[in-house]
Formats: sequence, C-alpha cells, structure tokens
Amino acid sequence: MALTRIQPAAIADVREPNFRNIVINGDMAVAQRGTSTASITTENYYTVDRFNTFITTLGTWTQSQDTDVPTGSGFATSLKMDCTSADASPAAGDRLVFQQKIEGQNVQYLKKGTSSAVPITLSFWVKSVLTGTYIAELYDNDNTRQVSKSYTISSASTWEKKTITFPADTTGALGNDTGDSLILQLWLGAGSTYTSGSLNTSWAASTNANRAVGQVNLANSTSNNFWITGIQLEAGSVATDFEVISFGQNLLRCQRYFQKIDATGTNTIITTMQAYASDNAVGDLPTLTELRANPTLSTTGTFNAWTSDASNKATGAIALYSASTTQQGILFTRASEGTLSAGNASGLYAGGSATILLSAEL
Amino acid sequence: MMKKVETITGIGSLTTDVLKVTLENDNIIYVPKDEANTDYQAIQEWAKIEGNNIIDNGA
Repeated sequence: MALTRIQPAAIADVREPNFRNIVINGDMAVAQRGTSTASITTENYYTVDRFNTFITTLGTWTQSQDTDVPTGSGFATSLKMDCTSADASPAAGDRLVFQQKIEGQNVQYLKKGTSSAVPITLSFWVKSVLTGTYIAELYDNDNTRQVSKSYTISSASTWEKKTITFPADTTGALGNDTGDSLILQLWLGAGSTYTSGSLNTSWAASTNANRAVGQVNLANSTSNNFWITGIQLEAGSVATDFEVISFGQNLLRCQRYFQKIDATGTNTIITTMQAYASDNAVGDLPTLTELRANPTLSTTGTFNAWTSDASNKATGAIALYSASTTQQGILFTRASEGTLSAGNASGLYAGGSATILLSAEL
Repeated sequence: MMKKVETITGIGSLTTDVLKVTLENDNIIYVPKDEANTDYQAIQEWAKIEGNNIIDNGA
C-alpha cells in the first residue's frame, strides 16, 4: 500500500499549544482546599483550584463545588455561588468578581502587543437565578489595559452556553515570566466606580468606570444562586469544544500553584527527619511538582514524631514549621518535648487528621 | 490581614529564608523571602505602613 503524504497545506497554520484552554480547571473538577466555604466576604482562593473570588463588601457568600451541571454536557461539577447575606445597594467601590490569574509565560503565543496579536475566545456554561447583563473582562496586569464584553443570562435557573470573542491587542506585550500577566474576570456585581462610564469593548488603558457597565447585582437578594462550569479561554475567534483532560493532568496543573499534602490518619508517615538536638529535627519533603514560586507553608491538625530508640515511642505534639521553602522541596524543623537524640532518625507523622498546605498562587 | 511578622531562628548553622506570619485569625503561615511569592509581596506592602515592623528574632 502506498503511503499518503500529508501536505503541509492541510495543517492549520496555527501554533496550537498542547493545552489550548488557557484556563486551568475550567471544569471545576479539582478542589484541593475543600468543596464548600461559607461566610465569604473577603478576597481569597476558597474551593475549586485556580479560581480566586475577589470581593469588596458586596454581600456574604457560600461557595461550593456543585454537581448541578448542564444536561448532556459531560461535565460532572460546577462552581456555585450562594448569596447568604444580601447587599442591594452597593457602595461605589464594591465589587464581586470570579477570576483566574494567568502566568505571562503561558500566553506568549497570543502575541499580545505585536502586530501579529490574535483574538481570544471565551466560552462557558452558566446558570443564574438572576437574569440580565453580566460582564466578562480580560485584564492585562502588566500594562494596565483591559477589555470588557457583556453577555445576557436570558432565562432564570437555566443552563446557557455563552461564547465571547475579545479582539486582538497590538499594544502591551505580556511579560514572559511567572507573574500574573493576564486575568480573566467574570463580574457578578459592581458599584458605580466600575459602572458609571461606557463599557470598554476594545482594548484600552484601564478606566475603572468603563469596566463593568450594565452589570447586574447578584448580591441583591439571598435568593440568588449562580453556577458556572466549562470555562475555556483560547487563541483565535472560534470557540472549540471544551478541552477534556484527565483528572490527574488537571490536578498536576493546579499543583503548580497549590499543593495539599493530606496526612490524614494516625501514624501516617509524612517524611523522615534527623534529630539535630533533643528538641529539634530537620527533614526534607519534596514537593509534588515544581511550584510557580517558593511557596507559603501552613498546616492544619497535629503532627508527631517517632524517635529512633528501641521503644519507638512517639513524642508529644510538635510544632511543625518551615525553615526553608523552595519550589522543589520544603525543609522542616520542629520542636518536640526534648525526647530526641541528636543524630538519630525520626519519623514525622500525623496525629490524626493533618495537612500541609503549600501555596504559590498568583 | 497580618497581625505580626517575624523572622525565625535557624538551627545550628542552618539559616532561614522564611518569615513567620500570624494572621488576624491567629493562624500562622510561613512565607519565603521570594519576590515572586504573593504573600511576601503583601508583607512588603504591609511593612511600608506606619507602625508595622518585621520583628527580628535573630535569624
């Protein structure tokens, strides 16, 4: 059989990355921090990975990873925002934004800031009790530029698919680094500081008044719930089908920014250490994958340590802290009840439910 | 919100490149002195405010 040669012209002239969806965890599948957080009033990362909730005194919210998804879409999870304390009259500077910050080095192929810049298309599924106009925004954090597009939720409590194409921007190159160069912002509420101008639908220097004109106030009633899933941001002016990747791949991409080392279970060994003195030991814990930056470390629960003498007895609860954190590993030191022997090995283990949290979020 | 920021002492010849931060809710986090770490960026902004000081414990 003769082999058929694929002509170069048949291959699209597009430098498509391995992951064409710029957004990480767009299907809301990974939630290392937990599946539900109540009483949200301040900015933070709460449930599903990579998505930050930016809020300035605009209601109180419960955020959760939910199983309400568009029928037949293939998605298993969505992100739900539930208003538990309303604010029907936002102050000028109030806002509620669901956002993802994107590393500049991941989006160089958008060629932003050059004559070859390409448009960017956003697609997602959304459902809301509150119908009306909502705003999606791309914010260039390196050059303080932005572009906003409005979309309409037409039917209450009904899943709708939205597609928005943002124009190319030939001004303002994005840094080829680990910083938060590009931010996808989905507005859910805004005060007059962000709504008093004319919606800026072409890339321009950021003017707050033009960023969220027309945005409904999702915080105006405790009856309001909002769901979203299948968020995809991609190069070009066409929305392709949501890029499905395995849970493991998705988790690995999230772990560049946040890692939860779950040591739940009494006597679950986390790592080995070497005693430096009777009340100190040092150990190294390699990270699960290289993080974006040297991470912040925090812990929950209780940790203990095994000594290496004949009885293998455990010391009391220890204070676990980090003497050094790097992108590849964490150096632990600890203080015990003075039962260790310098030079001997010691095992660090959880005294029940315990976690080590590493954050290198943007 | 940060309540207290302090250096932590090393062990023997091991020095530290981490700051211990006590948050308003009394949770403690350890933040590396890495310009790319957003918590360290926040500490630098916090330290600019009159009355806020990083306590030096002789790291």
